[in-house]
Amino acid sequence: MLFQHIRELYNYRNLIWVLAWVEFKQRYKNSVLGYFWSLLEPLMMLGVLYIVFSNLMRIQVEHYQLFLLQGIIMWNFFCRATSMGLSAIVGKPHLVQKVYFPRDILVISGCTTALLMGIFESVIFIGFMLFFQIPLSVNIIVLPVVIFLFFIIALGASLTLAALNTYYRDIQYIWAVVLQIGFFASPILYPLTIFPPLLFRILSYSPIAQVLYLARDVTLYSKVPNLASFSYAIVISIIVLGTGYAIFSRLEPKFAEEL
Amino acid sequence: MKPNNYEILHALKDINFSVEEGEMFGIIGKNGSGKSTLLKIMSRILIPTEGSVITKKAVTPFLELGVGFNYDFTAAENVKIYGIIMGLTPRDIEDKTEAILEFAGISQFRDTKLRNFSSGMQVRLAFSTAIQTNPQILLLDEVLAVGDKEFQKKCLHELERFKREGVTIIFVSHDLGSVKKHCERTLLLNHGIQVMIGETDEVVARYEQSG
Repeated sequence: MLFQHIRELYNYRNLIWVLAWVEFKQRYKNSVLGYFWSLLEPLMMLGVLYIVFSNLMRIQVEHYQLFLLQGIIMWNFFCRATSMGLSAIVGKPHLVQKVYFPRDILVISGCTTALLMGIFESVIFIGFMLFFQIPLSVNIIVLPVVIFLFFIIALGASLTLAALNTYYRDIQYIWAVVLQIGFFASPILYPLTIFPPLLFRILSYSPIAQVLYLARDVTLYSKVPNLASFSYAIVISIIVLGTGYAIFSRLEPKFAEEL
Repeated sequence: MKPNNYEILHALKDINFSVEEGEMFGIIGKNGSGKSTLLKIMSRILIPTEGSVITKKAVTPFLELGVGFNYDFTAAENVKIYGIIMGLTPRDIEDKTEAILEFAGISQFRDTKLRNFSSGMQVRLAFSTAIQTNPQILLLDEVLAVGDKEFQKKCLHELERFKREGVTIIFVSHDLGSVKKHCERTLLLNHGIQVMIGETDEVVARYEQSG
């Protein structure tokens, strides 16, 4: 079953890629600055947040500007992936009702678009790394794996959201609120240590927090990835993706009717 | 969410037929008789509550032309997008783009955005792309009713070519003339029920009789 589906998806790789590419390209098609926007947006966000949090809140973190930027880029990826995933089915009724291909392709390509945007935004991050002359270590080779796990988590969440949203459009409003809470409950602007011990422990269970820690450790701080965090992220990503597929494949047969 | 009893409407019921390889098979019936639903079930877009469809070869549905067309992209880009949705490989598309644009009669507008095209041009572009797929079983839902006389003639010509090449074609149409001309056998549906199946002439006569 599983391998058969993976093979089927492999046969549709061109479709996944084209759908992702179209979405990516379309974002900037009718704007004057084009792709430049995708660099300007996180840069402006970084500027504002940096001023607020380093001066007013007096956060003490090593390489804070990079800590913040990496957090913003990765969080942006997660927000976009799940938001695009959420509307992957509902937003493309023609592709669901007039042609047939496995519907998870729409969700996968939505997450891929978000990944493309994230990779593109990382150009600024690399620029900052060079500018501040942050030394890299061998540990950086773990970063693609961490990003892959993050992608899997986002995909699993997106599959769940896309399927549920087809039946109950309320999901999109609920998710918008969840994302807002998530922004402040994750170590994006500040390390979770600023919270009281109990809250700190609870929030540390968030897979997003663990992924952010891992990513920063191997890029900014030249640390060996924490094995506990790493195993935790792997286990969670498998659970999230499994749950996503279980819900998605159960609801998929009726998608065309529900739209 | 259980539907109330009085809300249950069988879009299709007791449908049972088989189509031979290389046959061109017609489906006719009034609006709302279940023709399109039947095609969607055959294309795997809808899953029937009961029963099954068994196909020995790949099914290519032409239920609507230009699925996935994007107005912000150029003609050539849209050929690529739509071609891939219809199952062509990037290499196929690369090789055939010129031919597709020429068949659609819009070679000189290759890099024009789709939003500047007339609806006729868009449909022509879509049809030209769609026929590049090598279908084994083709489901056609009224798509030939597009474009001007001249383009329709070209379309019918392509259809004849498919037929000669041994493609199995299932053809849903209100145009009884075309059905009579192309289909050997035809199915008549009425309110989701299989009224008659058999030689096209007899089935069409029955349909015309029933008004």
